Amino acid sequence: MALSTPASDTRLPAPGGAPVGALTWPHEATRGSTLWRDAWRRLLRNRLAVAGGVTIILLCLVAIFADVIAPQSYTKPNFGRLYESPSREYPLGTDQLGRDVLSRMIYGARVSMLVGLGAQIIVVLIGVPIGAISGYVGGRVDLLLTRFVDVMYAFPRLLFVILVMSMLGAGLVNIFIALGLTGWVGIARQTRAQVLAIKEKEFVEGARALGARSWRLLTRHVLPSALTPIVVSVTFGVPEAIFTEAALSFIGVGINPPTPSWGQMVGENQQYLRSYWHLCVFPSIAIAVTMLSFTFFGDGVRDALDPKMK
Amino acid sequence: MRIRDEQMALFEQRLQAIGVGRRDFLKVAGAMAALGGLGFVARAEAANASKPAPGEKLARDQTFRFGGGGWFQNDPASHDYNKDLYCGGVPALFAGLMVFNADFVAVPWMATKVEGNKDGSVWTFTIRKDSRWSDNAPVSARDFEWSWKRQLDPATAAPYASFLYDIKNGEAFNKKKITDPSEVGVRAKDDWALEVTLEGPRGYFPVLAAYIAALPGYQRAVEKHGDKWTEAANIVCNGPFTLGAWEHNKQIVLKKNPYYYGAKDVHLTKVIVPIIPGASGSLPYENNELDLTALQAGDLKRLQSDPRMQKDVFRYPFPGTWYLLPQATKAPFDNLKVRRAVAHAVDRENVVKVSQGLAVPAWSMIPPGFPGAIDDPKIKAIQKFDKKLAMEALKGTPYEGGRNWPKITLSMRDEGLGAKPLAEAVQAVLLENLNMKIDLEVLEPRVFRERLWKQDLQFVWIRWFMDYPDPHNEYFDTFYGKKTTGKRQAWTNEAFDKELEAGRDTRDAKKRMAHYAKAEEIMQADVGYVPVAWVVRYAAAKPWVKGIEKNKAGQFVVDGNIYVDMLQHIYIVEKG
Repeated sequence: MALSTPASDTRLPAPGGAPVGALTWPHEATRGSTLWRDAWRRLLRNRLAVAGGVTIILLCLVAIFADVIAPQSYTKPNFGRLYESPSREYPLGTDQLGRDVLSRMIYGARVSMLVGLGAQIIVVLIGVPIGAISGYVGGRVDLLLTRFVDVMYAFPRLLFVILVMSMLGAGLVNIFIALGLTGWVGIARQTRAQVLAIKEKEFVEGARALGARSWRLLTRHVLPSALTPIVVSVTFGVPEAIFTEAALSFIGVGINPPTPSWGQMVGENQQYLRSYWHLCVFPSIAIAVTMLSFTFFGDGVRDALDPKMK
Repeated sequence: MRIRDEQMALFEQRLQAIGVGRRDFLKVAGAMAALGGLGFVARAEAANASKPAPGEKLARDQTFRFGGGGWFQNDPASHDYNKDLYCGGVPALFAGLMVFNADFVAVPWMATKVEGNKDGSVWTFTIRKDSRWSDNAPVSARDFEWSWKRQLDPATAAPYASFLYDIKNGEAFNKKKITDPSEVGVRAKDDWALEVTLEGPRGYFPVLAAYIAALPGYQRAVEKHGDKWTEAANIVCNGPFTLGAWEHNKQIVLKKNPYYYGAKDVHLTKVIVPIIPGASGSLPYENNELDLTALQAGDLKRLQSDPRMQKDVFRYPFPGTWYLLPQATKAPFDNLKVRRAVAHAVDRENVVKVSQGLAVPAWSMIPPGFPGAIDDPKIKAIQKFDKKLAMEALKGTPYEGGRNWPKITLSMRDEGLGAKPLAEAVQAVLLENLNMKIDLEVLEPRVFRERLWKQDLQFVWIRWFMDYPDPHNEYFDTFYGKKTTGKRQAWTNEAFDKELEAGRDTRDAKKRMAHYAKAEEIMQADVGYVPVAWVVRYAAAKPWVKGIEKNKAGQFVVDGNIYVDMLQHIYIVEKG
């Protein structure tokens, strides 16, 4: 298993999929760096994962440069041209206010990506410390934290998110909070399980024998070794968050208009499906493609990081 | 006999107690007013049976399927209107003493004659002898005595029993102050005469008797089956139809009741009412699974432009007004200049385009064609759309040039009927014309109402559906500053209130309308509200559906809250 590496938390691959290569530390000839390098190689061999990763990078670029890419404003109505089918001028048609569907979808990508990543940051910030403390400290603390996690786990997630959202009100930041508050449970459990196993390992014993304090042991030795499942969990958490946002906006408690969100676009227009199919179909495709990409990429990352896979 | 104001107040109280609320009360009151204070016809008025017109050939299969678009979205709790007027069941299963016709006037039904004593404190209903329950027992005065006492009996625990508190000792009995039901003032003098003694003069009582809450129950079925008595296997009906089958959450099947006195004029032999969520739109209708449905925004335009179906679509009366409430107590709308800017910035012609035909631009509360409608160019000009005027109005405010807006949230109730696209269009034109960035917030209806009545919302998108054709409803019931309950806006204006009071207390129709026009002018100038659009509603009926009643204005009328008498008039003609 990996020995200590400096600033281990920077090794979290950005689930945007970009610089996975940064996970390798060429100057360190340890087995740890080999693990990451092996993983990288295995990931590249997985075609679906690469396709997913590329799509994710593209989506991230679209989200970042939405202002540049979008041909029109996402708020500007054109009351002369409502509900138009795709044309050369409006490649994906116009919506109920005559707004350009393509532009709205491009801005919608921004919401989806922000939610996917933003929520995962909160999830990691809550879940990993709780899991780590629970596993490392053990005893009564562990018991309390684990029971708490169990209770949280017992809530149906979407219902809980809707509850939180209805208390906080709709909005992007509130979606982060709601998804963060409800999503950390799985990652906390995994972290705890890892920490439990790793803290008994010889290298941890060794570090402790050399006089390392608990904090240092946990952050420098235990957690970095527990990183693999966390990384995998995050890559799967992102699409889940995106989908949850879409679901929330679909039922109308997610993003407030006029900010576009794919789920909201589908939700508002599903009853017009037979009259104006393009309003529903294109955002649905966007959601589906994003979900698939993250799932393929996540699968690839999991397989790549699995030491049993050669 | 005139119904005096104190009696009207009591009448309203009765209806409020059962949760009918001002709106429904006013519908009835409006019908009463239309008849010069007598909201009912005292003598049997043969219910206009529908007959095939010359050239129409009745179809052999008289099956009628209706629903969707808001009708029967949920499985009924029961069909027991005698116990719970909000049971959500099929009213056509029962026939009351009176019934509302297509003009919302109460006419005798199971009664043939209604007589009051001099002051209207005792009413005698003469019951027709030719109508029977579906088990072949006669519908007699005793059924109504038993039914109304059942509703009042505390053991029944009818949630809206206060509906009948006008009956002498009804309240006392319901509240267990007396225990002997024979002291309650409803008594069958014999099988064919029901004498109702009231707490005092109540000239409107026959109108109450036409309400769905006054429909009867059937003693033997209730005693045998308890709360399950309206299940298909147990129910006994006296209406034009009986319950053939009730597959819960799926469909309700009605069958013609051969024992109903007017059965010979009822053409339909079978009515199928599927339980359909509103989101299904007109799909079931287009798939030919329904013969009559209400239409929503997503479907209307398409059906109207479909050469096969455009003839099916018809508009039905539904006067209502969409408007904005800028809360005069909350920044930035506490500034009259800002409110004026908003009023001028709403591009109504364009906003209504998104409704796809279910709204037209509005310049006042009352839609054209109803009493009190305003066509005064002076008033129309007060809030007319003018981008330049809008921006100019902001001069001298902190928001000059459309800058420095605080966070603004437009709140609306979660509802179908194309409410959201209209709100989004308003949002878009305000952004375009005033650079006002607005968040649109859709609130759960209960939360919305609660916060609305606390006047806690900054900016509101809301509608008022007309209850009865009189401006009192459109101004007094909505905007009167001294209203204590159900007040939607914090805005008040002394001069405006004075006009409303004058309108209420004036008898001369012309002078009244002048007061209301003045009130509208004051309210628009002070921007108590911003009228945006008038509601338009459509339904679609297959070409073989005939006999839908028309009101005096010549419009088709379909089942709603007050009028529930549609089914017995409908017939099916041969599909040519």
